[in-house]
Amino acid sequence: MKENMKDPYNTKLQVDIGGLVLKNPVMTASGTFGYGEEYANFIDLNRLGALIVKGISLERRVGNPPHRIMETPCGMLNAIGLENVGVRSFLDEKLPFLKNFDVPVIVNIFGETVEEYRKLAQALSDVRGVDGLEVNISCPNVLKGGVEFGTDPDMANKVTRAVKSVTDLPVIVKLTPNVTDIAEIARSVEEGGADAVSLINTLKGMSIDIEGRVPHLKNITGGLSGPAIKPVALRMVWEVVKSVSIPVIGVGGIMDAADAVEFLIAGAKAVQIGTANFVNPHTTIDVLEGIDNYLIEHGIDDINDLIGTLKV
Amino acid sequence: MPHKTVRMSGKIIFNREIAKGHFLMSLNVSGHFSSAEASFRGVTPGQFVMLRAKGRDVPFLRRPMSIYSLYPSAGDLIIELLYRVAGKGTFVISRLKPDDEIDILGPLGRGFDIFPHCKRVVLVAGGIGIAPLSFLGHYYGADTVNKPPQIICYVGAQRADLLVGLDRMDEICSDIRISTDDGSRGYHGLVTELFEQDITLYNSSDSVVYSCGPFPMIKSLAEILRNQAVPCQVSVEERMACGVGACLGCAISVKSGYRKVCKDGPVFDIHELVWD
Ligand SMILES: Cc1cc2nc3c(=O)[nH]c(=O)nc-3n(C[C@H](O)[C@H](O)[C@H](O)COP(=O)(O)OP(=O)(O)OC[C@H]3O[C@@H](n4cnc5c(N)ncnc54)[C@H](O)[C@@H]3O)c2cc1C
Ligand SMILES: Cc1cc2nc3c(=O)[nH]c(=O)nc-3n(C[C@H](O)[C@H](O)[C@H](O)COP(=O)(O)O)c2cc1C
Ligand code: FES
Repeated sequence: MKENMKDPYNTKLQVDIGGLVLKNPVMTASGTFGYGEEYANFIDLNRLGALIVKGISLERRVGNPPHRIMETPCGMLNAIGLENVGVRSFLDEKLPFLKNFDVPVIVNIFGETVEEYRKLAQALSDVRGVDGLEVNISCPNVLKGGVEFGTDPDMANKVTRAVKSVTDLPVIVKLTPNVTDIAEIARSVEEGGADAVSLINTLKGMSIDIEGRVPHLKNITGGLSGPAIKPVALRMVWEVVKSVSIPVIGVGGIMDAADAVEFLIAGAKAVQIGTANFVNPHTTIDVLEGIDNYLIEHGIDDINDLIGTLKV
Repeated sequence: MPHKTVRMSGKIIFNREIAKGHFLMSLNVSGHFSSAEASFRGVTPGQFVMLRAKGRDVPFLRRPMSIYSLYPSAGDLIIELLYRVAGKGTFVISRLKPDDEIDILGPLGRGFDIFPHCKRVVLVAGGIGIAPLSFLGHYYGADTVNKPPQIICYVGAQRADLLVGLDRMDEICSDIRISTDDGSRGYHGLVTELFEQDITLYNSSDSVVYSCGPFPMIKSLAEILRNQAVPCQVSVEERMACGVGACLGCAISVKSGYRKVCKDGPVFDIHELVWD
């Protein structure tokens, strides 16, 4: 490790996300890092600011039929359909592995009803090794729940309240870009008690096989992610930062440290790396080291002095 | 032997067009990553790597490719891949020149199971599907103690000039049977028809059938083998993003639900697959 890469004990990278103090602002985006073990060969998980696991529901979900993914220019479409092992198996089989590491684990939760979100929050609270919840009200690939809650300010508020009423864990609500006014949704979840918001989830899109004249994805539509969505994510982060007083976490198309720094300047307190992990499993660490170097080069002693410094 | 998946850099030794749109690429992966050689030591045939040309943003995702051959050479580790240009990703890879570097993830997936005491190993290859089967044939052939008395290979291609990899098959097979769709060499028709003519020779548990090829071919092979006693393993394909089991994008239907091609496969028991 180079002299200037003293993380994870490099306090100048520390950020506070609704009471959860992270050693640095680099997290993994849900659904793009499995349950952590898939990438433990490639990077030292201890160096991550936080690890957000694949979305968990009360019961196991089998997900959508194949084909589930398609490449696009500068990104990909996915219609996984929230396949996951269910909360019980997560706690029994997946969490023990993550407990071996000194990295905060944030569990991304998904329900089809408000009651399901409440039960999930309950099941995950007071569990050693779970450090926060990310409430997914923004998945475009499921019939019930998901984006239904994320596009309606009242529903978004209700889900947030339900979750907050049963847990003391920091609650991050993950927003969808598939709305006209994302700041309105952000305000309603802040009002509902959210400790932070993360944005964006994927943009709904589609792709057609012109030989067969059929959709490339069995689900017809899918969620677009990757560099193609970065400008949209950045704009939305900027809009939301101006509208709420809780921390905003930026997600969408971050491939390198420069991308991440853009989000920080726009006002994001932390960033999540998603699709980039598939292309380069080492992206999170590269981003982390790159941010550190940026601070050194610009003579910034505390990352919080960089956050939200966009000049307009 | 367990192995660890690594990300490494490979240097192209050659990347040669051996038939129209078909390439043989040889990569040196030593010297870049000290762990590469150790990681690849326990590799079994059927395992694959994911590639991305360095410094190019197109295509965005990596491309999966079966290991065609793997060997140490003067202290270095050499990986060879046999591939067909199918679209823009493989096109970009096909343009790479000697000394160019390529980013590699591997080894990935679960390869073919080895049946140590079988009498006959039967390989059924469709087109570029010959790549992992050639590796497998050599793996059996190199086993000095348990080498099966017979390794028989059925190879199908669209035309005679698209038959690739036969030279290496010759080295290990007691019999190679060829078919072409247009009849320009060997049997005129599908490789599965040719194989079906001989099915009585193999219908026992002291034989084992392995296959790789286009989906319709695997499907007809499954029909041919439905009531036969011979075990059969196939390597299948699905679009992949991560290759390591994290994205859940490469799902395939099997009798017990969905499985990940990159992690649970790409090799499956042919009778486990679901066709719809
Ligand atoms: C485990 C495995 C091993 C393989 N081994 C070989 C090999 O040894 N030699 C060889 O020639 N080919 C092999 N293939 C197929 C090869 O990966 C595809 O031909 C290639 O990905 C096509 O990419 P493209 O950009 O040229 O085509 P495009 O059609 O432009 O690809 C677009 C997208 O679809 C995906 N895709 C398209 N076709 C396939 C496919 N058949 N399998 C997986 N993803 C696909 C690509 O990853 C990409 O995301 C293998 C596939 C798998 C899954
Ligand atoms: C394959 C895949 C699976 C995903 N699964 C989830 C999920 O389970 N829960 C969730 O909140 N977001 C999920 N997402 C969205 C990502 O977390 C992220 O918000 C999005 O991909 C945008 O970031 P990126 O461009 O960096 O990938 C998924 C994305 C992808 C590509
Ligand atoms: S390619 Fe990502 S899970 Fe198989």
